[in-house]
Amino acid sequence: MRVDRLLAPLSGLVVLAALLLGLEWAVEAGLIRRALMPAPSTIALRLWDLLASGDAMAPMMQTLRLVFTGFAIGSAIGIAAGLAMGWWPSVFRLLEPLVELVRPIPKSALVPPLMLFLGIGFAMKVTSVALVVTFPVLVNTLQGVRGVDRVMLDAARTHGWPARHTLLHLVLPAALPLVLAGMRISLGLAMVLAVLSEMLAGEGGLGFLILDMQRSFRVRDMYAWLVILAVLGLALNWLFILAERRALHWQRR
Amino acid sequence: MRITSGTWLILGLLALWEASARLGWVDSPNWPALSQVLAALAADMATGELPARICGSLWRMGAGLAAGGLAGVLTGLAFALIPLTARLFGVVVELLRPIPVPAVIPPLVLFLGLDDPMKITVVALTVFFPVLTNTLQGVQAVEPDSIAMGRTFGIGPLRRAGFIILPAALPAILAGFRVALALALVVTVVAEMIAGEQGIGSYLVLMQFAGRAPEMYGVIVLLAALGYALNRGFVALERRLIAWWYAAGREAA
Repeated sequence: MRVDRLLAPLSGLVVLAALLLGLEWAVEAGLIRRALMPAPSTIALRLWDLLASGDAMAPMMQTLRLVFTGFAIGSAIGIAAGLAMGWWPSVFRLLEPLVELVRPIPKSALVPPLMLFLGIGFAMKVTSVALVVTFPVLVNTLQGVRGVDRVMLDAARTHGWPARHTLLHLVLPAALPLVLAGMRISLGLAMVLAVLSEMLAGEGGLGFLILDMQRSFRVRDMYAWLVILAVLGLALNWLFILAERRALHWQRR
Repeated sequence: MRITSGTWLILGLLALWEASARLGWVDSPNWPALSQVLAALAADMATGELPARICGSLWRMGAGLAAGGLAGVLTGLAFALIPLTARLFGVVVELLRPIPVPAVIPPLVLFLGLDDPMKITVVALTVFFPVLTNTLQGVQAVEPDSIAMGRTFGIGPLRRAGFIILPAALPAILAGFRVALALALVVTVVAEMIAGEQGIGSYLVLMQFAGRAPEMYGVIVLLAALGYALNRGFVALERRLIAWWYAAGREAA
């Protein structure tokens, strides 16, 4: 089993290497136009230059800061609203129609109006990321709160727990698996909106660079930045899953 | 429909929107009144420009959904039924999955240009992953007994896949398609916003640059309605296609 689990990704990595080599060969043999797809080795060299010179650092940090801030704000709003809506029926009745009205609006379509109000700076981008993050977190939190075992709630009441204590120490932990599942979905969406708003604002960040390099036909740079973005996405996703496992360690199946 | 506090909240907010623009509380060309937005939307629909763009966007979305969905189902079936394929290509798929979609648009523009082929490919790529994941999970959850029974009756592997496994996994696959449908509309609009002059997305950006706020908000209202209608339509279709599944007393996930 142990060996098998080590071998499984290994055979996959071999296939990946084979694909890259095949691509390299196809470019060298002239099957793919170099102007569209430079050889992977030259992209790797460019990538190395960007990383070694430290030029990659600033755009990376810019995009990461955007994703983190937007994700944190959106998650906080989503969790708070979801908890309140799940806990107090009056809050649910008040906010549910509004949530259902705003939820189907494609958040990416909100970037242009946000640019009109907030300009092309950090405020606009963070708002668009936070908006897209909020709703999956909210809906999942609500579902999680509703799924809390009634018997446990009754037990808390029997023990005379105040509402605040019950919310923090019973409802929130019980809803956590669903809350985190919502946040995992939102993390991917946050990356999408971060890249999109950077592309539309044209003011730095990985998304802007990828589009800008394409428009100025610096194809090797474009692919290098794309690789950086992909690795960043992969790393964030992986980190989140690790954190999720740690937070839910009691939920071993 | 009962009028709850939530309905009043929405009505109140809409009235506040209208009043703030009409009475000059918010004095900005970016803040048109609700009535102006609806009038602009109606006018755009009447000229036939917007309906034509909607049809174009929907066609690109549909084509991408079909192509990406088919690829997702086939890959999911292969991964689940032939473990070797999952071992070989699983890593590549997992590496590609976290790339934020807008970022693949610039390289695709190089290969496929600004028009339909590029946009359909972007949509197909987006749709592929949720459908693949759900197909994989759906097939893995098929009761081994029913497969064993097929084998006992001497049904060949291809017919087993088509007539036993696929129908049994259909609820999960359709759930994947429901997620994919929402993403497909968003990504169609995103692709149109970033590249080319087709469809609703491009119209949205055009109106932003032209400073025609009422038209811009009108398009967003329209997109929200479209997303809502598509989801509703799909759920209705789902209820028909897998009526047997709901008949077994299960609820939509």
